[in-house]
Amino acid sequence: MKEDYLVLKNLVKIFSGGKESVIAVDDVSLQVREGELVTLLGPSGCGKTTTLRMIAGFEFPTSGEIFLDGERINDVPPNRRPTTMVFQNYALFPHMTVVQNIEYGLKIHRVPGKAIRERVEEVMRLVGLKGLGGRSPTQLSGGQQQRVSLARSLIMEPKVLLLDEPLSNLDAKLRESTRIEIRKLQRRVGITSVYVTHDQEEAMTLSDRVVIMHAGRIQQIGTPPEIYSHPANRFVADFIGKANFLEARVAAISSPNTAELDIHGTKLRVSTDYQELAEGAKVVVVVRPESVALETKKPGTLTGVIRESVYLGSEIVYEVQLKDSILTVEVPNPREHTLFTNDQEVSIRLKEKSLHILPAEEPVG
Amino acid sequence: MKRLFLVLLLAAVAAAGFATPQSEARVLHLYEAFDTEEAQVYIEAFEAETGIDVEWVRMSSGEVLARVEAEASNPQSSVWHAGSNTSHINASSKGLLAPYRPKTDFQLQPQLPADDWTWTGFYTGAIGFISNKDFLSKKGVKAPTSWKDLLNPAFAKNVAMAYPYTSGTAYTTYATLVQMLGEKETLDWWEKFDRQSVFQYTKSGTGCIPMAGLGEVGLGIAFSHDIVAKGINQGYPVVMSFPEEGTGFEVGGLSLIKGGPEPELAKQFIDWCFTVKAQNLFQQYSRLPVNPKATVAPGAVTLDQVKLIDYDAIWAGNNKDRLIEAWRDRIGK
Amino acid sequence: MNKSARRTSEVLANMRIIWKEPFLLVAILAIFYFLLLFVAFPIFQVFRYSLVVDKKFDLSNYLAVFSARYYYQPFLNSIILGAITGTTGTIMGFVFAYALTRTPLPFKGFFRQTVTFPIISPPFVVALAAILLFGRAGSLTPFLQKILGEYSIYGLGGLVFVETVAYGPTAFLVLYGVLQAIDPALEEASMDLGASRAKVFSTVTLPLAVPGIASAWLLVFIQSMADFGNPMIISGNFRVLSVQAFLQITGMYDLSRGATLAVLLFIPTTVAYFLQKYWVSRKSYVTVTGKPTAATIKRLEWYIKLPVYFLCILFTAMVFLLYGTIVYGSFQKLWGVDATLTFNNYIQMFRVGKDYIIDSLTLSSLATPITGLLGMFIAFLVIRKRFIGRGAMEFISMLTFAVPGTVVGIGYILAFNQRSVLFPFILTGTAWIIVLLLIFRNMPVGIRSGIAALQQIDPAIEEASTDLGADSATTFRKVTLPMIAPAFFSGLVFGFVKAMTAISAVIFVVSGKWNLITVAILGFVDSSRYAPAAAMSLLLIVIVLIAMGIIQLVVNRIGRGVRTTSIVG
Repeated sequence: MKEDYLVLKNLVKIFSGGKESVIAVDDVSLQVREGELVTLLGPSGCGKTTTLRMIAGFEFPTSGEIFLDGERINDVPPNRRPTTMVFQNYALFPHMTVVQNIEYGLKIHRVPGKAIRERVEEVMRLVGLKGLGGRSPTQLSGGQQQRVSLARSLIMEPKVLLLDEPLSNLDAKLRESTRIEIRKLQRRVGITSVYVTHDQEEAMTLSDRVVIMHAGRIQQIGTPPEIYSHPANRFVADFIGKANFLEARVAAISSPNTAELDIHGTKLRVSTDYQELAEGAKVVVVVRPESVALETKKPGTLTGVIRESVYLGSEIVYEVQLKDSILTVEVPNPREHTLFTNDQEVSIRLKEKSLHILPAEEPVG
Repeated sequence: MKRLFLVLLLAAVAAAGFATPQSEARVLHLYEAFDTEEAQVYIEAFEAETGIDVEWVRMSSGEVLARVEAEASNPQSSVWHAGSNTSHINASSKGLLAPYRPKTDFQLQPQLPADDWTWTGFYTGAIGFISNKDFLSKKGVKAPTSWKDLLNPAFAKNVAMAYPYTSGTAYTTYATLVQMLGEKETLDWWEKFDRQSVFQYTKSGTGCIPMAGLGEVGLGIAFSHDIVAKGINQGYPVVMSFPEEGTGFEVGGLSLIKGGPEPELAKQFIDWCFTVKAQNLFQQYSRLPVNPKATVAPGAVTLDQVKLIDYDAIWAGNNKDRLIEAWRDRIGK
Repeated sequence: MNKSARRTSEVLANMRIIWKEPFLLVAILAIFYFLLLFVAFPIFQVFRYSLVVDKKFDLSNYLAVFSARYYYQPFLNSIILGAITGTTGTIMGFVFAYALTRTPLPFKGFFRQTVTFPIISPPFVVALAAILLFGRAGSLTPFLQKILGEYSIYGLGGLVFVETVAYGPTAFLVLYGVLQAIDPALEEASMDLGASRAKVFSTVTLPLAVPGIASAWLLVFIQSMADFGNPMIISGNFRVLSVQAFLQITGMYDLSRGATLAVLLFIPTTVAYFLQKYWVSRKSYVTVTGKPTAATIKRLEWYIKLPVYFLCILFTAMVFLLYGTIVYGSFQKLWGVDATLTFNNYIQMFRVGKDYIIDSLTLSSLATPITGLLGMFIAFLVIRKRFIGRGAMEFISMLTFAVPGTVVGIGYILAFNQRSVLFPFILTGTAWIIVLLLIFRNMPVGIRSGIAALQQIDPAIEEASTDLGADSATTFRKVTLPMIAPAFFSGLVFGFVKAMTAISAVIFVVSGKWNLITVAILGFVDSSRYAPAAAMSLLLIVIVLIAMGIIQLVVNRIGRGVRTTSIVG
């Protein structure tokens, strides 16, 4: 498996429109392994789609380079690149049938008719479109259209498959089932894929690695667990999952990987991968809502007051008022736990192993 | 890609075919100043008699002059048929015509040919008035018999004629008055005439005739043959009259365009126009033939029945531009 | 990288892509050449002839034109006429648009058809009908004179009347689209907050419609100034610029003064055009291409309904009266004198005018498909591709729409009556000059409908085609063209109608070999042969209607199953 199958090197894209210029992509570098599914994740406007389109060839990098399988493809026009794209709105040809849509690319490349027929059949079986070949795209459901779009791209056997938010037009239930299918398909075919979405749940479930982008820059690249438990900065921590941020001070450094923190007077021992923590330094602790346990008030502990509680069936979400911040706490399986009411004072126990430390002042993005 | 080139090639070939002039073989290109329907009669007769194909364009004589001048470096036509000789004179003075003495079976009267034979007169006609009978009876007046009559308040806003600068007929009228009264007097008169009596100026010389016929105006000024052919003979309730001070006349011109594509065929055409057969055709349109052997249409006014001034067409032609500008300056139209 | 360096690199990158597709490169270069030759060059010639006397740069033409009353009066007249007609046309268009979008007027379809009918008929037919009815020998004249006293249909009043009928429908179309696209929720919200009907209109509807109103006014103004056929027939002593320029060239052979007058005609109309396109339409609060919403506020007071209905009915009656007169007049023996009905005019027409009819049909049929395809392709290039000079291409190709036909016609004779560096053929007197004039004059129609259609298409669909390996030509052929087919055919219809009814430009380039129905009609009117004029006008209208019907059938057949919008959303 080639490590540097798809390489983006210092990609920059600036759109100059009239008086204002927009830096859509700001020095993005990425190496994608062959067969890997990498997701570009971020809020709208973060540059993920532009990056994808640069790989496809629909946008020209203002500077930077793109290499595919060892070859520099900056100057290769989009119709000659070994990439195909699944568009957000599927972009199916409305005046052609499903089969005609799927075989379109092969016909352009003058693949002989017999071979086309075989491959079309095969790919339709693969994505689950059997029997729908003669229909017009307007006669298909959203999910079916999506599969036609996928089939049309896959049949070309591209070196890289690009997917631009392919699930955003489906309803929630369909989205869930379809994304599993896509993942299975991708693994089975082993095709290198770059996926773009703003839905972090999608990114987390689908990807081998996730690239989080914000304002044109990469915030962090990592596997889903890495991103979740060790977010590189506040933005990532906030974007993935839910997070509480507590200010703390480093009381002491007991060992290279452990620090004693002072959080609002309470002392905690937290493991950390930051080597540059100095004693007395201000830090921010990322506390996921599920990393907090609530108990009846005990003296000598970090305490707070329940402000709101929302009963969700499988869990209760509490909003707990601390001295100068609000902590969101998720307590699973309410029947096994004490229930608290509003305005009740409670003790807060932070589960040290699941805490993560970030330096206090750092620019986001 | 290949298909595209083939299409482009075909298009280019077709373009060349369209753009290049026709081959010389027996096709005569002609500019025509008679009305379309009338011209067709003469031209078809010529074609039938000689087997020569005529490709012709119909324009007013002013337009023909303009066209011939525009094409001076590459004339598209060989002969100019009809139109009052004023325009032919103008063209000749600009060196646009080639001299040719037509072969006739009679002696041409002295006023008919140009001094240098660059044009020849092949019909004549006098300027007259056309009046609508119902209008006259409603207003209780008789048809005008003098130029001064035109200023009669009874005719207020009821006269139509063409612009002197677009029509040979109107220009001849203007030049006639200038030769009778003098330039200043003419313009003085015309200013009054314009303010009081004129309803509208038309583009073509004969436009006022159906207007008078339909009663849209009471009076028109045009050539007698047109008045007879297009007015009286069409069944309109109109009557013709002439100014007793004297009136101008036109000589219809025929000329060989210098540098035209088929000069020999053009000469044949010119010669043909003077034959008895051709001149007899004028009966249909009440034009006065110049061939004494031809028959004159009954009812046509011959030149000896009207008082003509000693109209100098050549002077009129040479001074056209200056006189027109003076007219436009004064009348403001 | 600083901004200009970035721009350059972007431009170079775009060019590199074009370079890689030779067909595209050749096509772009060819189109630039054609636009230069058949659009820019003639207009340039007009300016040149006005500014160069005896091979020297000379402003004497302009001095003469501004000092002599018989030159500048027509200029003022044309502007006054344009302003008045703009106003009356816009009012009429607005009333109709309001009636059809905001009132419960019955038979809306019928009214809609009626008000748009004048658009497809040759515009000067209205003047002809006006003369037949209200001229000095008109059939309604005695009756009207009892009421109004002496009046004359010739002149400013008659022209305003005729042009309002002829060009008001254009204003209607613009305003109809605008009023339709105003979200009814806005007016409902206004009422909900307590505004009376009048207040809703004055504080919500009207302000939102203002850009549309300005647009409509400018469009009618332009059409009125450029109008040639109607003034030729009915302007009387109220001389207008378009006719004067024509007379100057064909009556006096004065190319340089004629060109100067053409320039005078060019300036206000082009200014108005650019005002409309680049300023007013940008200020639109309403996207006209958005989904139209049906807003019928059911309960309207009688004092609103009555005048609105009345005006609509009046206009409709006028349209029927005018066109009906054409039909009636065409069967008369000698209009104004002998009203016996006869087919003679038609027989005469087919005998004498047969060539005109064949020529018109041939040339229009030749020009129209080229107009359509070229227009579509240019729209495709301009909207979907990026290359140097794209803006210039769009600008130049729309120019012949902005410029009055008279100016274009004069430009064509000045450009092609001699060989030039750009083009080694003389075209005057040939069929090709007429065809080319028709093509480039009507191309903006094709381009605009192409642009509108392309804007409805999700660009992702064409990107998908490219993504799968197709080059621009293949994408255009296999994907774009089929999807815009309905718009393409509509563009064809309009192009054909415009070609058949053209007069103001083509009158300069007709010759003995090739002549057109419209020119023949004007010739008949010129010699007061109103009945044959009516017959030929009617024939022209019938031909146009048949052509529209045929193309509509074709569209329905092809359009089945083809959507021009993306499937999702």
